[in-house]
Amino acid sequence: MKNKIIYSVLLLWIGFSFHATAQTLRGRVLDTDGKGLGGVTVINTSTGRALVATEPNGSFSVSITSNTTLLFKLVGYTDKRVNVQRGQTSLTVTLAASDQGIEEVVVTRGYAKRPKETSTGASNILTADDIRDVPGPLESLLQGKVPGMNIQVNTGAPGYRGTTQIRGLSTLTITGSGSESILMPTSPLYVIDGVPLDADRASEMGLQQQGPGISPLSMIPPEDVESIEILKDAQATSLYGSLAAYGVIIINTKRGNSEIPRINYTNNTFIKTPPKLRETLGGNLERRLKLQQIYGNALTQEDIDRIQRTPHLSDSLNAYFNNSTNWQDLYFQTTLNQSHNLSVDGGNRILSYKANIGYYTETGIIRNTGFDRYSTNLRMDYSPDSKIRFTGQVFAQLGKVNKGDGTGILQTGVARGGLSSTLLPPPSFYLASSDYISSISTKNTNNVRVIRPYIEGSYEILTGLRLTSALSYEFSSSTEDTFTPAAASNQFSKVYSFAGRETQLYSRSSLNYMKSFNEEHNIFINLFNEVRNVTRQNSVIHQHRTPNDIFQGPLGFDGYFSRGGGLLNNFKDERAVSFALSTSYDFKRTYVVDLSYRMDGSSGNGFGNLYTRNPAIGFRWNAHHEEWIKERAPWLNLGSVRASWGINVMPNSTLERVYGRYNIWGNYNQQQGIGIDFGQIPNPNLKPTTSSQYNLGIDLALFNNKVDLVYDTYYKKVDNLLFDQFLNSSVGFHVLASNDAAIANYGHELALNIRPINRGDFNWTFSINGALNRDVLLKLPAHYGGQFIRWDGDNNGQHVVFRVGTSTLSNYLLLNEGVYSRDEDVPIDPATGLRYRASSGVFFEAGDPIWADRNGDYILDDRDYARTGNSQPLITGGMQNTFNYKNIQLSIYASFTAKRTILNNALAERMALMANPFGQGGDNKVVVPLDGYDMWRQPGDVAKYPYAYAYTRSNTIQPFRYDQTLWEENGTYFKINNIILAYNFNRSFLSRYGLQRLRVYGSLDNVVTFSEYSGPNPENVTSMGRDLSNGYPVPRTYNLGLNLSF
Amino acid sequence: MMSYIKYKVQGSMAALSLLTLFSCDNMYNLPTDQDFISENLTYNTKVLEPILGRTTVFTPLNVDNSTLPLQFEIVNARFGDGTPATDFLENAETYEWIDEYDGRETSLQEIESKRRLVSKPMFEVDSGGRFILHASATSDRILPRPTDSVLKTQDIRFFDLKLSNSGGVRYVKDFQLIPWREMDYDPTDLNPYTGEIAPDPANPKDPRKRAYILPSIMVGLVGDSTDVNLINNDQKKDLVVYIRQFQGGNGHKLRFKFLDKKGNPINPAEFNETRWDNLVHGFNRETTSEYVQYDVAYPIPLTSFNTVYTMGGRARALFSYSRMGWGGVRQLATFGLDFRIFKKGDWEIVFHFQNDNPKFDND
Repeated sequence: MKNKIIYSVLLLWIGFSFHATAQTLRGRVLDTDGKGLGGVTVINTSTGRALVATEPNGSFSVSITSNTTLLFKLVGYTDKRVNVQRGQTSLTVTLAASDQGIEEVVVTRGYAKRPKETSTGASNILTADDIRDVPGPLESLLQGKVPGMNIQVNTGAPGYRGTTQIRGLSTLTITGSGSESILMPTSPLYVIDGVPLDADRASEMGLQQQGPGISPLSMIPPEDVESIEILKDAQATSLYGSLAAYGVIIINTKRGNSEIPRINYTNNTFIKTPPKLRETLGGNLERRLKLQQIYGNALTQEDIDRIQRTPHLSDSLNAYFNNSTNWQDLYFQTTLNQSHNLSVDGGNRILSYKANIGYYTETGIIRNTGFDRYSTNLRMDYSPDSKIRFTGQVFAQLGKVNKGDGTGILQTGVARGGLSSTLLPPPSFYLASSDYISSISTKNTNNVRVIRPYIEGSYEILTGLRLTSALSYEFSSSTEDTFTPAAASNQFSKVYSFAGRETQLYSRSSLNYMKSFNEEHNIFINLFNEVRNVTRQNSVIHQHRTPNDIFQGPLGFDGYFSRGGGLLNNFKDERAVSFALSTSYDFKRTYVVDLSYRMDGSSGNGFGNLYTRNPAIGFRWNAHHEEWIKERAPWLNLGSVRASWGINVMPNSTLERVYGRYNIWGNYNQQQGIGIDFGQIPNPNLKPTTSSQYNLGIDLALFNNKVDLVYDTYYKKVDNLLFDQFLNSSVGFHVLASNDAAIANYGHELALNIRPINRGDFNWTFSINGALNRDVLLKLPAHYGGQFIRWDGDNNGQHVVFRVGTSTLSNYLLLNEGVYSRDEDVPIDPATGLRYRASSGVFFEAGDPIWADRNGDYILDDRDYARTGNSQPLITGGMQNTFNYKNIQLSIYASFTAKRTILNNALAERMALMANPFGQGGDNKVVVPLDGYDMWRQPGDVAKYPYAYAYTRSNTIQPFRYDQTLWEENGTYFKINNIILAYNFNRSFLSRYGLQRLRVYGSLDNVVTFSEYSGPNPENVTSMGRDLSNGYPVPRTYNLGLNLSF
Repeated sequence: MMSYIKYKVQGSMAALSLLTLFSCDNMYNLPTDQDFISENLTYNTKVLEPILGRTTVFTPLNVDNSTLPLQFEIVNARFGDGTPATDFLENAETYEWIDEYDGRETSLQEIESKRRLVSKPMFEVDSGGRFILHASATSDRILPRPTDSVLKTQDIRFFDLKLSNSGGVRYVKDFQLIPWREMDYDPTDLNPYTGEIAPDPANPKDPRKRAYILPSIMVGLVGDSTDVNLINNDQKKDLVVYIRQFQGGNGHKLRFKFLDKKGNPINPAEFNETRWDNLVHGFNRETTSEYVQYDVAYPIPLTSFNTVYTMGGRARALFSYSRMGWGGVRQLATFGLDFRIFKKGDWEIVFHFQNDNPKFDND
């Protein structure tokens, strides 16, 4: 009612101001061929209100005041403004088809929509069509589609995510050790329907995380996504402030957009199959190989005699030892899964609504794992006129994950169990397979429940001046309950329980002003502020030796068997406030200048720098608007040059880093004292990490938009990186959290989109994109003198070296130069006459690996390590190819990664399986055929791999030690992500059954990977390029789906 | 033609702009990729006190993860009083191994074919930064520390080491080389300062007494006249060893001799359980009633590689005999010496039963 009053008053005001009279205007809207165009929106520009939509034959009738300018709008056509003269009663309007994908494209900058043509930053937009038809996590569907966004689907664990990096490396922080060491995730900021979301929050504890760890992105059904925008350069991201230092991904979900209520149902039924499993030698073959190995390599009679004391080798007549158990097959399975998504939407420009309900269930290819998702997204938009807009939205999501006895991404138990000897289980007591029991019978339930209401109101105070305010509150609760039965845990059952909750209160208010002077000078000013309050509290319980398998809770009967727990240290209660101003000016849309400035204050910052400041500037020249270019190059549909610079500042401070940590320790006057923890010295001067970026880009669309090309080059300097300095032992404290490290990333991105054939029935679209990113370490804390080695405490000893002036993350390994063909090939120290030897004094001999003696002392030790390789990919990109013939669509999506070093730890482990043929119990390992490997077998062989059967060397020389370049391989791969074949039924056919749309499709996901890599999958490696043999393999998916609308 | 020029201009413009875009590595003024050379490069031992006349390899450089290989150079060699010291850097002939000595060689020629004489500085730093004093450094070429045991700074040879790679140059300064005089054999009965026979450690002032080399192993030897076990201790030394050169050999002989309490030779055949062929890695064994001798390659042992002839880096010579003891039990007596001889020559190792002869007769 109130709106109506305002509306009437406004109308009156307009009416008086123009001294005009009402008149009825009839007319038709035609296309250039003279056919009537239906569904064209007719808008009164003075009120901004949509008056009517044209009939299917193009006719319309409106009642207007004279001297009004009408705007005719239809998707796919250029807007047309027509000034209606006094007394005019009929009108014929001709709309010209618009150039595809230029005028209509709108980008989001600082939560405000702007035409892409006037944006100075580097960004890419994907639409729902780019990610449809394949069931799976949203992020993996983006792989290879945006140049400069490096997505590695490096885990197949249901409900988890791989890694995403925009424009290279932004951190030096490595967590974990050995094969499990990973780079601290630096995922971009996700802004989902206007609310920022920290996608890394589930993974900040590394691979050994606690709690459900479900990726927040796995909770969004891809069917509900309307568009995804990826902001890459600092001009685009700086408006999102300190959270956006790693780029921004804006996801908008679908909204109601149909006059007639529309019901849309999407179903996917898909089979997931495990990758090819390791080949093993089973049963008698295994025994014979082990015996042969002993007879061929034993150095003493004792070894031969030991066979008699090893039952599974000598007791071959025992029926139990004639097993041939395929352990891997017990863990892996092919699964049938499904997803359903139902959406209802409808409405018009005044009121529209949308409801999306999704269900997704996936059973893991590793038994006893899986992921279920239930999601709803309800949205209502109300806009009685162009001045008032109101949006209400509720997200509710429930994710359930079963991790088995692993930690989600890691399945250590499964990996170990899969390596058990095929001769197991042994006679009389079936306990050799406690790994198996643990994997299969551990009861693990993880739940993440998220609810997020969102409301937004907006009012246009004056023409061009709009006030918008939005409020959202997200509450998520995470729980994990694990019950390990007695048989899987040394005869005593145990319980682990995790409970966490996280909230985010978020509010944003903005004031926009848009004004055009003489249709030449356009300005846009956007002033907004954000307020956030993020809290997080997680706690755990470990209870060991619970009474029995039947009693699974409630617990707390005996503190003696409690193994700790309590509040985890990722507790958070952050309050943040931000202010941002962005201005944009353009002259005839040809010359554009963007200026923006943002301040972020957070309670997590030290008082020394409470606010971080993020300025940015951008320029754009749209050459295609220049008259002289129009004349000379009519084939140029779009030609723009963009240049930008900006800064994103991200605070490093935490209360612990600034003020130190205090623990209960020490005594004072026989009283318990509280003293400072000497692990880390407080550093109140800790500076925020500053990421500054220059970007230069060219956008081209040529030959009637048949070819479009986007090229960007950038230089990104990440300064004041957090780097722990180890202090001199005389200081007292161990570590100083400093920020004297810096990285530069620079590179080129190219996206080329070609539509070679576009005639009638047949359409062909081909796109290719690629990015070349180099990272260089610029500096380290001065007293390191330009090099720092991160020694890996793990037995594997795959160390990482940071050296200024080189690619940031290199390995520090022994250089492998082949295998000693004969004993005489081992070098002799001319001074001592002794052969090259290990530090234990064992001399190298034929069949042993050649490790370069870097320091020339004829002793192999840790002084012989050298810097080698680069674990980060140099080139990433992808390809898309789509054919449309009549109603049939065939799409092929591919992605590639090149020039990256990966460490094939899986092969190292496989070769080392032969290390102990006598192994019993847990050490009784399966044997694998090694025929395919270029391995030394007899003197004179020139080979790549050392002699694996020489078990006597395995403890002395350790030929298959992890810290050597033998495992370094080229991680280049080309992967066909998806093949999709879809068929759209004819509308005329469907209308007989009351259907509006029916689309059936079949798709394949993770189809095939082409690579030189000798391991199973060059992508299924950690962000540090290490092939985890205990990781979760990425399955292949065969999908049948249908999409139905009525 | 005009259009052709136009395209040429456009083409070259495009090429130029691409060139500027792709050649930007230098544009960003990035630090260069160069080797790392640590500020903390050092050696654990900077005072080098080798014994002359034998090859000594010192503990290697503490590289502190500097990028290898490094270039090494000994510079500024001087005596403590500042006068240049070049004597220890002069070339001399020394053996260099080219193949591995493993103790299975069947002739002297085969051994000699595994090493060769080269002329190189007596003291050098090798490509890995190890300091090596070669056996060619003898007391007459390099003056060892003074015999009066008073070490003055002008007796010390100082030098600095220059280390470099593409990351820069570092100096490790003021190494000291203070060699001990040659000791031709080990274990020793010599005074390390003077090279003369050392006094008895128990009575250093008594000029009538001297230090002895004692056998490494002495088990089951019984005195012929006393019927008690022969022993060596601080008060009493029943069996002592002399390592000395003799005249009349071919220059690479090793002879074993046994003396009774009167100083008369004992017939080696009395030591009836001795494995004469595996006694030392020698050839052309010659057995007389007074001694056993072999043609050998010096030094003994040739390397520290463990062979059947060595034990813990020394050559092991074991002698044993057996006789019938009381009650018809066969008694085995064994004695021997773990030794090293560094200098080539005709050497004899003499076992002297000072106080009582060993009992060979059956009981």
